[in-house]
Amino acid sequence: MKGILFVVILLVLAMLANGQKIEDIRINRYADFAGTIGQSQGSLSASYVHNWKLWKKRKWETGFSLRWSSYFGTKTEFITAPARLARTNTTPFLIFFAGQRKETQDTLTVQRPFTNSVNLAINFGYNFSQKWSGGFNIDLIGFSFGRKSPAILTSNGEMQTEPSAKPASFNLLLTGDHDLGSLNSEFFLRYHLNDTWSVRAIYEFLFVEYKTSSVKQVAPDGTEVYRFRNKANTFGLGIAYHFKTIRYI
Amino acid sequence: MRWIIFIGLIAFFSCKKDLASTTPVMDNIDTTTADIKYDGSFMNGPFGSVSGMVKIYTEDQQYSLALINVVISNGPDLHVYLSKEEQPGQFIDLGKLKSTTGNQVYSITGTPDFSEYKYVLIHCQKYNHLFGAARIAQ
Repeated sequence: MKGILFVVILLVLAMLANGQKIEDIRINRYADFAGTIGQSQGSLSASYVHNWKLWKKRKWETGFSLRWSSYFGTKTEFITAPARLARTNTTPFLIFFAGQRKETQDTLTVQRPFTNSVNLAINFGYNFSQKWSGGFNIDLIGFSFGRKSPAILTSNGEMQTEPSAKPASFNLLLTGDHDLGSLNSEFFLRYHLNDTWSVRAIYEFLFVEYKTSSVKQVAPDGTEVYRFRNKANTFGLGIAYHFKTIRYI
Repeated sequence: MRWIIFIGLIAFFSCKKDLASTTPVMDNIDTTTADIKYDGSFMNGPFGSVSGMVKIYTEDQQYSLALINVVISNGPDLHVYLSKEEQPGQFIDLGKLKSTTGNQVYSITGTPDFSEYKYVLIHCQKYNHLFGAARIAQ
């Protein structure tokens, strides 16, 4: 066994010593920083992206990224989160087209929300030309932490103080209002300044979830609800540094 | 260093923006047509000071709340609540405090049950700090 390992190491070393180094244009790796702003709220994000360019023309690309998203706002409204109370139809994917159940939705106004989320995301992109590309990405799974904040639960016209609402800690993409926690997604258009730097114009759709601890919504079916979701629509800019990927031939 | 000063200035002006006006407000209520239903005096809360009186008027089945000769220590995002408890547990938000001094009138929508809503609070909503409370009675 040791002998085989020794031979493999020797072969790798020989390849590195004698092999020719070239840039691997099948891989697009970059570090990305973005900021977006919306009404009374905004976000900052940093991600490391690893995409593979697909097929012969390498116009399409897909891959994964690890993204840190920070969300902040002031007096932001979070509505009842569970899908069965938020939407008229809860069938996965069809839920996107379902109507809102206003009659069962209460509002939690979080005074000073601030959350941080670290999520694994999936990316899709298309390279229109050498300079221009576009794409979409969405968080899949991860965790969140952040600031506890006073909040006000408005339920059937009556207001109650929640002294310490806190961000939901577990994030999972389950489609639409089935989602758990805080998940970020972006549509973007990218312009490559040169081989190393690019800039992006971004439309961001960010789910953020806060949980109450002392006050709860009592749903018409008698269940208690303590999860509330904000869906932030924001616009912003990003900048990316592209790494060269070297391979040996 | 310049960035620290810049961020500090932004934080300072953000807090200033939330403070109540200190210009005295002199709202009037027509006492010849409005009846006093309840009144009370303010006591200081744990995070601020409030002095003065509160009166609940009714006119044409419409309730109004009047703060009389109030002096309130300033704070961010101060609101006037009609509350079931001395702490802001369940309440009706009558709006942002108009000023830290003077006579101020706030309209009350609907017909709350004043046997339940027995307190008037001055509350900092942003940080959940109670500045003062008055128990109202007939």
